[in-house]
Amino acid sequence: MRPTGTAEQTAAAPKHAVLPGGRRGRETALGRRTLLLFGGPFAVLFAAMYIAPLLYATVSSLFVVKRSGLGLAPPTRRFEPLHNFAQAFGDHDFLAGLARVGLFAVVQVPLMLGLALGLALLLDSRSARAKGFFRLGAFLPYAIPGVSAALVWSFMYSSESSPINHLLEPLGVHIPFFANGAVLWSVANIVTWSWTGYNMIIIYSALQTIPAEVLEAAKMDGASALRIAWNIKIPAVRSSLVLTTVFSIIGSAQLFNEPAVLQPISSGAISSTFTPIMSAQAAVAAGNYPYAAAQSVVLAVAVGVLSFVFFKLTSRGENA
Amino acid sequence: MKASRTGTVATAAVAALALALAGCSSTEGDQGSGSSKELTFWGWSPGYADAVKAFNKSHPDIKVTYQEVQPGAKGGYQKMLNAVQAGNAPCLAQVGYETLSSFAAQGALQDVHEQAEGDESDFQPAAWQSVRLGDAVYGAPVDTGPMALFYNKKVYDSLGLKPPATWSEYQEQAQKIHASDPHRYISSPYLNYDYAGLSWQTGASWFGVKGDSWKVDLASEANQKVAAYWQGLVDAGLISGAPMYDQAWYAGLGNGNIATVVGAVWQAGVIKGGVKDGAGDWAVAPMPQWKAGEKAVGNAGGSATAVLKGCESTDAAWTFAHWLSTDRTAYGDLVTKASLYPAAVALLDLPQLQGKDPYFGGQPIYDVFARAAADVTPGWTWGPIMTKTTTDLDDALGKAWAGKGTLKDALVTARTKTVAELKNQGLKVAE
Repeated sequence: MRPTGTAEQTAAAPKHAVLPGGRRGRETALGRRTLLLFGGPFAVLFAAMYIAPLLYATVSSLFVVKRSGLGLAPPTRRFEPLHNFAQAFGDHDFLAGLARVGLFAVVQVPLMLGLALGLALLLDSRSARAKGFFRLGAFLPYAIPGVSAALVWSFMYSSESSPINHLLEPLGVHIPFFANGAVLWSVANIVTWSWTGYNMIIIYSALQTIPAEVLEAAKMDGASALRIAWNIKIPAVRSSLVLTTVFSIIGSAQLFNEPAVLQPISSGAISSTFTPIMSAQAAVAAGNYPYAAAQSVVLAVAVGVLSFVFFKLTSRGENA
Repeated sequence: MKASRTGTVATAAVAALALALAGCSSTEGDQGSGSSKELTFWGWSPGYADAVKAFNKSHPDIKVTYQEVQPGAKGGYQKMLNAVQAGNAPCLAQVGYETLSSFAAQGALQDVHEQAEGDESDFQPAAWQSVRLGDAVYGAPVDTGPMALFYNKKVYDSLGLKPPATWSEYQEQAQKIHASDPHRYISSPYLNYDYAGLSWQTGASWFGVKGDSWKVDLASEANQKVAAYWQGLVDAGLISGAPMYDQAWYAGLGNGNIATVVGAVWQAGVIKGGVKDGAGDWAVAPMPQWKAGEKAVGNAGGSATAVLKGCESTDAAWTFAHWLSTDRTAYGDLVTKASLYPAAVALLDLPQLQGKDPYFGGQPIYDVFARAAADVTPGWTWGPIMTKTTTDLDDALGKAWAGKGTLKDALVTARTKTVAELKNQGLKVAE
């Protein structure tokens, strides 16, 4: 995932941004060798780990596994570039999965980032106490592997053991975590819990780069904390917000761990094609690798287009 | 008894496959000499690791490395198929009979009939049939899965109930049990192969072979009879929501909230291992019948040590696979640790199969399964894309057990999707 690299760069960027101009000359002499030294291994790894699998998946999605009769002879592969894609776009379950994840992203991403931004602003505010503690605390869920987190939540949700519903019982409240309409948001809750802190840290780092003079000046001019946040801080962390949004869109498309872990206890509310990745996984389980590859390609293109459109929209706003 | 065993797992499909394959069995040969004597074995049964240790001690010329993988349906099979695709599969893998034909259909198995020649008579004919397709032999059968009724005797005694002889009696008991405590249910939902066992008993089939075409019988009348019966229990709210093998299920078995499990012999090990606080409460009775006096039993599970495609030391692979299925000491431990029920003829008198089990209140439970093994309904056939079929079935069954949709619709859905996928892959389907 290329954007991950950019995340760290953005956070770290301010430190390296100001280089003394005098040293530039010497550096160009070393430039080519340095480029080879650092860029070479990267290029090789990038090609091997990123480009190659991508190409492999794309190529294999153009083939169809064909067997005959009872199917006991080894299957043959036939080049039928459109077959798997036609199947994917006619596959009700796969399309439903795409739509489900789309809905998920539209609701969960703004919610999570709003929360992350709010937390970051609170933590950044002058009156905040024990910043280190809260920063770490908010970040901790991210350190817990996704599967473990989902397992813990599956215990909280389980209709047999849910301590949440147990506590609510005296109030006569029962949350149907796995009702058809609720299950997606039960998943969203886990994802939000896991990733809000992570996004908050990125936004918080960006807040740290706002020069103190600017904030001081605004304060001297009599701007309230809210106004400072709205007119200075939020515009300053704009690029971080764009970045975390794109990560989150990609993350949503890759939704897998949480629903997969909840599936066995979901009483059928989470099917094996709940999300596109799960759907591809199910195709692999059925021995249909090319179809799984085709589904992945469709998903990758959809995410690529979405991210691109989002970038375009937000950068147009920046230029204006 | 022998004759009926022969029929147990020997299925129409296998016979038909035999014909289909008669002309085209592979002629691998030279590599059988097996220069390399190191091989890897993927499995998940409790006790396999120790068996491998014992094998390595007694066979200094072969070194088997055991690697535990997820149980097949939970990811193990996928890992194996991926490894075969990638060309770095282990020589040996634990593969359930239900999945063996899917593996064969994906070209993931290696024929070892040359190595296995002469060992056939060591195994129950039915078990041997399930590792053999035509002239090809794909591994050694390890265990079979005759079914019975596990029931919580403490709960049953407290309500003055006796193990049910028929399914209608079982239904009456379900009502009494639930009436005694609203948190208490007679059973929990059954999915994929556990559900298959219920259909199997009834003489229903899921798949069949007609000429060179597959018949997909998932929604046949016999299957619908089974579905309708359990649907009745679901509709009356008599089935727990705890999914099998989930923490909630183990807890329910332990505290009496789930009073029975219709399950295969190996589930004795699952219950013993997962429900420590149920020790002494549980007992085993024969499977309830559709008509009083009948003797029909389903089968759930049973697996083979299969030889995967790409194995170079096939001699050593067969030596190990055969040893694991037939060594008295090693298998005795497997009976104790994993409640496996031997496929090898000579092991049916193992002392471990005669013992009284303190967990089951001192009952010699294998007596029940020995009788069950002889009564398994013949004629069951597994399909060529079982992973897909059971995935689709489970998606729909899960909903049905939860009261959304019906079991019958689940069967129809799974059938439709299976037929579509078979046709999509080019396989012939008889309508």
